[in-house]
Amino acid sequence: MLGFAKGMAYTFKQMTKKKVTHMYPDQEMVWPERFRGIQHFAPEKCIVCNQCARICPTGCINLIGKKSEDPNKKGKVIDTYDINFEICILCDLCTEVCPTEAIVMTTNFELAAYSRDELFKNLEWLDNNNTNVRGGNA
Amino acid sequence: MGAYIEQSLGLTNSLVFILSAAALLGIVLGFVTYSIYFQRKILGWMQLRIGPNRVGPLGLLQTVADVLKLLLKEDIIPKAADKPLFIIAPIIAFMPAFGVLAVMPFTESIHFADVGVGLLYYIALSGITVLGVVTGGWASNNKWALIGAMRSAAQMISYEIPLVMSVVGVILMTGSLNLIDIVEKQKEMGMWFFIPQFLGFIIFIIAQLAELSRTPFDLTEAESELISGYHVEYSGFRWAFFMLTEYVYIFAMASLTTVLFLGGWLPPFEFLGFIPGIIWFGLKFLAIVFFIFWLQATFPRMRVDQLMQMGWKVLLPLALLNILITAVLKTVL
Amino acid sequence: MSSSTELRTEEMLLNVGPQHPSTHGVFRLIVKIDGETITEAIPVIGYLHRGTEKLAENLNYTQIIPYTDRMDYISAMSNNYMMVHTVETMMGLEIPERAEYLRVIVLELQRVASHLLWFGTYLLDLGALSPLLYAFVDREKILAFFNELSGARLTYNYMRVGGVKWDAPEGWIEKVKEFVPYMRKQIQDYHTLVTGNEVLINRLKGIGVITQEDAINYSLSGVLLRSTGIKWDLRKDEPYSIYDRFQFEVPTETAGDCFARYKIRLREMEESLNIVEQAIEQFPKEGEIMAKVPRVLRTPQGEAFTRIEAPRGEIGCYISSNGKDKPYRIKFRRPSFANLQVLPKLVKGQNVADMVAILGSIDIVLGEVDG
Repeated sequence: MLGFAKGMAYTFKQMTKKKVTHMYPDQEMVWPERFRGIQHFAPEKCIVCNQCARICPTGCINLIGKKSEDPNKKGKVIDTYDINFEICILCDLCTEVCPTEAIVMTTNFELAAYSRDELFKNLEWLDNNNTNVRGGNA
Repeated sequence: MGAYIEQSLGLTNSLVFILSAAALLGIVLGFVTYSIYFQRKILGWMQLRIGPNRVGPLGLLQTVADVLKLLLKEDIIPKAADKPLFIIAPIIAFMPAFGVLAVMPFTESIHFADVGVGLLYYIALSGITVLGVVTGGWASNNKWALIGAMRSAAQMISYEIPLVMSVVGVILMTGSLNLIDIVEKQKEMGMWFFIPQFLGFIIFIIAQLAELSRTPFDLTEAESELISGYHVEYSGFRWAFFMLTEYVYIFAMASLTTVLFLGGWLPPFEFLGFIPGIIWFGLKFLAIVFFIFWLQATFPRMRVDQLMQMGWKVLLPLALLNILITAVLKTVL
Repeated sequence: MSSSTELRTEEMLLNVGPQHPSTHGVFRLIVKIDGETITEAIPVIGYLHRGTEKLAENLNYTQIIPYTDRMDYISAMSNNYMMVHTVETMMGLEIPERAEYLRVIVLELQRVASHLLWFGTYLLDLGALSPLLYAFVDREKILAFFNELSGARLTYNYMRVGGVKWDAPEGWIEKVKEFVPYMRKQIQDYHTLVTGNEVLINRLKGIGVITQEDAINYSLSGVLLRSTGIKWDLRKDEPYSIYDRFQFEVPTETAGDCFARYKIRLREMEESLNIVEQAIEQFPKEGEIMAKVPRVLRTPQGEAFTRIEAPRGEIGCYISSNGKDKPYRIKFRRPSFANLQVLPKLVKGQNVADMVAILGSIDIVLGEVDG
């Protein structure tokens, strides 16, 4: 009969407990190491193997290579590298297949923009995005 | 106040009346503002989160910001709605809520009208709100609003009866309908009415929750089923009127409970009599308001036919039983 | 009224529209009501159809895995596993022990998280505001575990053909081990707060009763089937992965109403915690997390259909392959889609308020219904 009284005692006790909310953005979000945020690209490590563009499930990576200007190095260097962030689903497959770890994920996630043009990330932006890069274990 | 009423209506009198009514309106609106704030805070604390805390220090200006937003909104009236009824409905709903406070005694000296039939006046006037609700639901020209208005009318009307019946025990023991006399009787008896009239007290609390449409009886504005029931088409200032009605009713009902069952302005023990009566009134009143919010955090909602069954088959017979027992004991003792 | 002796009533067509707080997604239900009783209900789905199965014809198996995450977004690990399991069965791969144990721990934790979300939202539909917050506090803890393990909170992309992608980080297993007794106590608290509440019991008992033959005829699965008394759980009757190594009960009730389904889901949470505990005890200290798979995954010619027990019912994946690395046709048998068929029958003759209770107890996710 008095089952609801126990329920009321329970909610009353909850008033005295510690709050579980996070005061974002006053308090920073601390993400674990493997968190998948936007990518960081290091152009000097890229060997233009095209694996990332091929594995991407939505087809958001476009890249163009050019012949190396240094006569001693064979192979290509990267000329342009674009990620269309409107369709990137942050699935992490591109970092999985990259043989040289030229593309890695960071833990940056605050990416809201006022215009869609800003969502098209080019090589320069991805190179400069080098804070919070995921570490060795990740 | 009584002195002013006895004189004939002159310039000073009317000025005093209007200003004191405006003062009461101001207090009531202040109560509404901060009760909404406290409802959100208490609900938040019970749910392990902080309530509003950004607008103003500790979030105290949250309701002010909300009301300001509502006042600045566009006044939308649906094209096929019944325009005169649509506009009048919130007013019909609100006026009784404020009107009942005319007979409410806050202390021996702070009250407006010392009417011999104070309790009857209160109950009669509070029935007019149902008209406003049904008008609002009908005039909206919306099926959801209509369902909500029908449910609300059924609920409010059927719970008026146990509400009144449960108070009859108090009236029998006092011998008068005057609210001030009821409190004086409790002072004379030395104990508050909720002890001898315990059954009546329980029924009154349950019936009052149904009158106020609060959880667990808030199916008239069941947000997850009917999306706001009878006030679904109202926005901006008109919706604020309906919300104001609800919270002013909470004020009125909580004051009535305090006066009828919890001894009004009387201190619980004699030696605490140095604390002024208005503080005691305020404390008891706030305890009841807190209880209403506490129930909102805990209970799910009842279904409409179960609600009707409970009102007619459970509460009404118990209220009649209460009257019978009180009458018998009064004759015997 | 004219000179008729009876009151002439009309049926009203009510549109529980695509935007509604209780329909768990974009789902439209056209109900014909007579007063407060429902005479007919017609569900309209397809608002969230994204063409996953067609898109998958152009993607190889590893690329399809992020798409399966987004079908039943509340229990994404089960979806990942469902597809990977079919491919592994076709290719005849053997999965290393550590990967299997990680998979089982993750799948059972996912079941607890999915049922917690169901609990919170179901009670919110019924009008109780607080249990949602309490359930989400615990769900956040589980999502934090998954965040540490795979890097995301909702769309994990964790399973791979042949194993799992990441190994458990340091200290993860210990944290999960501490979580189990805490969660058991929380489930007890939920019983105190909610199950004993008379208002709730009156709301749920005797509502939406499914009979046994209806359950089999409509091919219901999962909790709906077990609430009618049929004891069928794929983890026990057709064990996949390493489920035959664990001791656990399959909760069953005979009443077939909403209250029975409520009780079963709460007990299923406890059983899942038992499995997680046993898996942690038996967890191998070291091992590979991925079997030796060729670089390009090709399935042999033919077709295969496998099914697993997801939190919402039986989820199955059918692959028809030409021998290439992309499937010729992939089809997902989704439990919410099949379970939703019984809604018009259950709702007939009930109140409008009961419709919300019944829909909530079937536990659908629109991402899964539409695919």
